[in-house]
Amino acid sequence: MAKITIDNQEIECRDGIPVLQAALEAGWDVPHYCYHPGLSVVASCRLCLMEMQLPHPKTREMGWAPKLFPSCQTPVKDGMVVRFDSGAVEQNQKACMEYFLLNHPLDCPVCDQAGECHLQDYSYKFGESESRMHDQKQVNPKKDIGPQTLLYSDRCVMCTRCVRFAEEVSGTEELCIVNRGGRAEIDIFPGIPLDNPMQGNVVDVCPVGALLDKDFLFKKRVWFLESGDSVCPGCSTGCAIRVDQSDNRVQRLKPRYNPGVNEWWMCDEGRFGWKYVHDVERVTRPRLRRGAEMETPAWESLGEIVRYRFEQQVDRHGAAKVAVLLSPMMACEEAWLLAKFVRELAPDATIATGFVPMVGEERCFPVGCNADDAKFVIRREKCPNGRGVELVAEHFGGSTCDFDGFVTKAGEGAFEAVWVVGGYSEEWVPKALATSLAKIEMLVVQDMFESALTGEAELVLPACAWVERDGSFVNHAGLIQPFERAINVPDGARRDGQYLFGLAGFEGLYSGARVRALMAEEMDAFREIAEAPRQPAHQH
Amino acid sequence: MAWKTIDRNEPVVDAGATPVLTEAIRGKIESFFPRYPTKRAVLLPALHVIQDALGFIGWQAMKEVADLLEIHPSAVFDTISFYTHFWTKPRGEKVVTVCRSISCELLGGREVLEAVKDHLGIGEHETTGDGKYSIAVEECLAGCDHGPCLLVNERMHKCVKAADVPALLADAGNADHGLPRSDLFDGPVVDDDRDDGVIASTSDVVEMQDSN
Repeated sequence: MAKITIDNQEIECRDGIPVLQAALEAGWDVPHYCYHPGLSVVASCRLCLMEMQLPHPKTREMGWAPKLFPSCQTPVKDGMVVRFDSGAVEQNQKACMEYFLLNHPLDCPVCDQAGECHLQDYSYKFGESESRMHDQKQVNPKKDIGPQTLLYSDRCVMCTRCVRFAEEVSGTEELCIVNRGGRAEIDIFPGIPLDNPMQGNVVDVCPVGALLDKDFLFKKRVWFLESGDSVCPGCSTGCAIRVDQSDNRVQRLKPRYNPGVNEWWMCDEGRFGWKYVHDVERVTRPRLRRGAEMETPAWESLGEIVRYRFEQQVDRHGAAKVAVLLSPMMACEEAWLLAKFVRELAPDATIATGFVPMVGEERCFPVGCNADDAKFVIRREKCPNGRGVELVAEHFGGSTCDFDGFVTKAGEGAFEAVWVVGGYSEEWVPKALATSLAKIEMLVVQDMFESALTGEAELVLPACAWVERDGSFVNHAGLIQPFERAINVPDGARRDGQYLFGLAGFEGLYSGARVRALMAEEMDAFREIAEAPRQPAHQH
Repeated sequence: MAWKTIDRNEPVVDAGATPVLTEAIRGKIESFFPRYPTKRAVLLPALHVIQDALGFIGWQAMKEVADLLEIHPSAVFDTISFYTHFWTKPRGEKVVTVCRSISCELLGGREVLEAVKDHLGIGEHETTGDGKYSIAVEECLAGCDHGPCLLVNERMHKCVKAADVPALLADAGNADHGLPRSDLFDGPVVDDDRDDGVIASTSDVVEMQDSN
């Protein structure tokens, strides 16, 4: 740990990081555009300049050097003394801001970035209310540069973060800087659009409103958004994300900094893959078969009915004929509650882990790198909690099996009462499973969409989307990461965790943290969980 | 879209078009490979070779040189657009380059540029219909003490007045250099062993090969 002095305050910081990063981490809000901790340092925006003490060339006495230094490009050194609160630094910030705003169209009222724009924030802090520019502004064009992205280069401050992202992280190099000096702009080679699985991140790294996400374009002013800290369910990487919602509808997903997992990034698959959440075809009400009729029972009476019918089955066929299929789309807490409930009713019940969708190959970025050097990996395992449900199944022990084993056993007629959990955004039920489970006496299906199984079920329960639930997912590397609820469940539905909490014999309101505390008493793994660090303003 | 947006997704290079880089040009570019640590580093000499051979570097040539050097076409576009020396559109026989830097500007450079534009009826970085003239603007022509300056090809005209422009452009000898070219000029070298007159290499490549 190096000790440096910023504005007369001594702070401790990690060795070798830039002074700017140390200052940001210690709580200083140093303005900057081109610096991003995940990208190479170019020191081109000149906004983060600082004053630094250097030894006098003759007397060797320490004193403030006459020039300013870019804090993003100066690594910390033990005993270093710098300052951001001097007149020279402020003057530079003012001058830079004036320069950045020279050609800016000042179209905040119609700009998507307004409200979360670094140009707005810094302008408010360091800028002037009036422009001294009396010449015609240089107006760069608005360009469509890809299927998901627009570039309004009139708003661009030429920080080149997007270009560096495409070079260093996605490795696809579609973006370039054309022309030079005051006429420079970001562009693509015409006809080779910005179209790669990571491209959405260029919108996130853009500190101003130049790069725009077509998916979110003109959808919502950002100050109406409320956020929940979540984890992406798209694959087993487990990227920390922020779910931005308003009026109980998801508006967009953004990555959160999560060292060692997704760093600052997320893939487009996850970013745009939430649309099914608001699908009108979703199962939102419980459905119970009484004779030939299906009816919608009251949630309050459901616990008793389920318990009674399961007990009947146990009495009739024995506990070994009962099985539960835990979906890797469930949170660990929900899986634990369901397994607990089933094993209490039927101690010999089989606990199976559910279908794990595998698509294609692992995709490593920058493209062309090998898995060890990858800065980001999109995994082929398209579910968030494969490890989590395995952990739960292992914990309960006894008769357990994987999905293939379950399908085989079900085909052999090993079960008479089965609780199947789905929750996938796409069709997942294999034909063989549908045929064999259609014959059994009692089938409970907890799923998000109608399938071949829901038609045969005695009881259909709505499975909620991950943004409507809270709990934790265990990623491919075994990291347990909690996620928050961002929106409410659809009308008529109830959170999976809530009804499973009741079934497992607990009273009151379900919360992920509460169940985790109960789980931690039995399972050591849940004593400590990994949470992505909170980031201060203007840190990325 | 609420505003006028330029669609950059439209391809400008036809995938099935015949290559514009001839075997000779490719061969010459490849002769530079041993001199640089990476193929990417050969980009600038390659662009010079192409512009010398074709007169300009169009979209198709950019794409082809990118494939040859195994880099993304956007990197070629990036480099070409940085240097005003490179032309992306056909260039006239004579290029009138007008300085727009501060000394010339103060002495009436802007009026000279306007006069050139008016006289030729074209804008900056454009070429007249008959292919005779193109206009370029540069930051400095290193003649600040004799502004406003303009170049016709490599001939420098100093202290140009807007009123002189029509006469200057009507003069057939306006591009005459007057001086013999320096020996240091790296002109193309014709391979003696070949009788088709194909450019084999540049003088400095030959020099380097000789010294080995």
